[in-house]
Amino acid sequence: MYDFSLLNQETIRALIVALVLFVVAFVSFVIIAIFTLFKTNYYTTKHKEKNHLICDVAYFHERGKREDQEDSLYISPMDKFDESGLVAACSDGMGGLLNGEVVSKFVTDSLRENYPYGFDSQADNAAVITDISNQVYEQYHLGAGATLVMVHIFDDYMNFYSLGDSNIILIRNNKATLLNYKQNYVTLMIRKLAEGGLDTADAYKDTRAKGLIDFVGNLNCNVQMTSRPMRLIENDIVIVSSDGVTDSMPLNRIVNHIHFDQNATGIARTIKYGVKARKNPRQDNYSAIVIKMKRSFV
Amino acid sequence: MIEYYTFKHRGADEEYKDEVFLRLVPTLTVAIFNGSKLDSPQSQSLLFSEILSSEEGSKSIDYLNNVFEECLDKESEYLILRVEKTGIESIRRGSVSARIVRQGQISLLPNGFFGLSADDRIVCATSNFFKYLSEDGILADALVADSCSEWMNMLIRRISDQTQLRCGNLSAVTLKLNS
Repeated sequence: MYDFSLLNQETIRALIVALVLFVVAFVSFVIIAIFTLFKTNYYTTKHKEKNHLICDVAYFHERGKREDQEDSLYISPMDKFDESGLVAACSDGMGGLLNGEVVSKFVTDSLRENYPYGFDSQADNAAVITDISNQVYEQYHLGAGATLVMVHIFDDYMNFYSLGDSNIILIRNNKATLLNYKQNYVTLMIRKLAEGGLDTADAYKDTRAKGLIDFVGNLNCNVQMTSRPMRLIENDIVIVSSDGVTDSMPLNRIVNHIHFDQNATGIARTIKYGVKARKNPRQDNYSAIVIKMKRSFV
Repeated sequence: MIEYYTFKHRGADEEYKDEVFLRLVPTLTVAIFNGSKLDSPQSQSLLFSEILSSEEGSKSIDYLNNVFEECLDKESEYLILRVEKTGIESIRRGSVSARIVRQGQISLLPNGFFGLSADDRIVCATSNFFKYLSEDGILADALVADSCSEWMNMLIRRISDQTQLRCGNLSAVTLKLNS
C-alpha cells in the first residue's frame, strides 16, 4: 500500500489534475473515434449507390434530302435517372411506305407514355413494344411501319431492344461495334448458305434482300432484346441512330472522326457534320442520340 | 443442363484443317483441333480423334493433354473442354481459345477448372473464327440469343459481313449452361 499522506498537498493536487485531464482526453478520443467510424460508414453506405457512372447525352435530328422528317427520337427525363435509369430510342419510318413520320412519332410517343420501364423486366418491355407494333398493324395493316432501337441504361448496365435495321453502336477502346443485328432477308440467306457450307456472296448481291423481316407495324413482331444486361465502363460511347447515319458514315469512319476527350455534344456535332460533309444527293433522314458514360465526382 | 451447337465451315479453302469433336461419356467433352500450321493436318486430326474416342479420352484432362503432347505434332493446336458437375475444365495449346460471358461481361476462359453459374455462356473457336469478331460483338450476341444455335448464327453473320465466309476454315462451338 502507498502512504499518500507522505506526499505534500501540491503534489496530490497536481496528480488529481493530471488524472482528470487524462480521463477527459481519453473520453474525447473515444467519442471522436466512434463518431468518425459512424460517419465514414454512413457516408460509404449513402454514396455506394451514387458511385455509378453518369450518362452525358446529346442528339441531332436532321432531315437530309427528304421532304419529311420520318425519324423520331425519345429520351427519358434526366431527373428520373437515379430511380429509373435512362431510356433512349430512335424510330425510323420505313421508306416506300406511307405515313412514316406519323408511325415513328406514334412509336416514340407511346414509349414516353409507358415510361418508366423495369430494368430487369426485359420481356415485359418487349411486350410493350409488341403492343405498340400491333396497334400500328391494326391501323395500317402493313401499309406503314417503322424501325425501333432503344437502350435502357441503369447502374452501369445496359439492356437494348431492336426491331428492323436501325443501329445501336458501342464505341469502346477506340473500336466501334454494332450491337444489334439487322432483321432483314440477308440474315436469313446467310444462315441458309452457311448451313450448306457455301460462301455468302449471293446474300449481299440482291438489293431486295435488305427488305425487313420484322419491324414496328408487323403483327406480333419478334423484338430483339438482351435477356441479361451488358456491363458498361467509363468512356463507353453508345450511339442510337437511324440508318441514315451509318449509310453515309460507316462505323470505322465514326471512330476516326471523334476524339475521346469529347463530350456527348461534341461527338454528336462531329457525327452530324461528318454526315453532312458527304453531300449525299439522296441523303436519308439522319438522327442519333449519343450517350457517353462518365465517372461522376463527388 | 448443357446446351451446345457446333459449326464447321471450309471457308473457301481446299480442305478442312480444323475439326470439332464431341465425346459424351463420361461427361460432355468438346475438342477443337486446328492443324493450319501442319503439312498433313488430316492425319494428325485422325490421330487426335482416335485418342479422344479411346479409353484415354475418359481419363483426367491433364492426363489426356499429356497423351496429346506425346503423340501429336508440336505444331498441332487444340482446345479440350470438359463439363463437370459444378463447372468446366479446359486446357488449350496454341491459338484455339474460349470466351466466357458472365454477368454482362466477356473474358478469356483460363486453363484449368472454372466454376460455372446459371446462364453462363461459352464460345470456343479457332483464332481464325475470332479474328473477325470483336469482344463486344460476341458479348452482345450472347446476351440477345435465346439458344446456342441462334448465338452461332449471329456470330456467323458478323464474320460474313466482313468476309462473305471466304476466309479459310471456321470452327466453333457455343455452349450454354441452362438454369
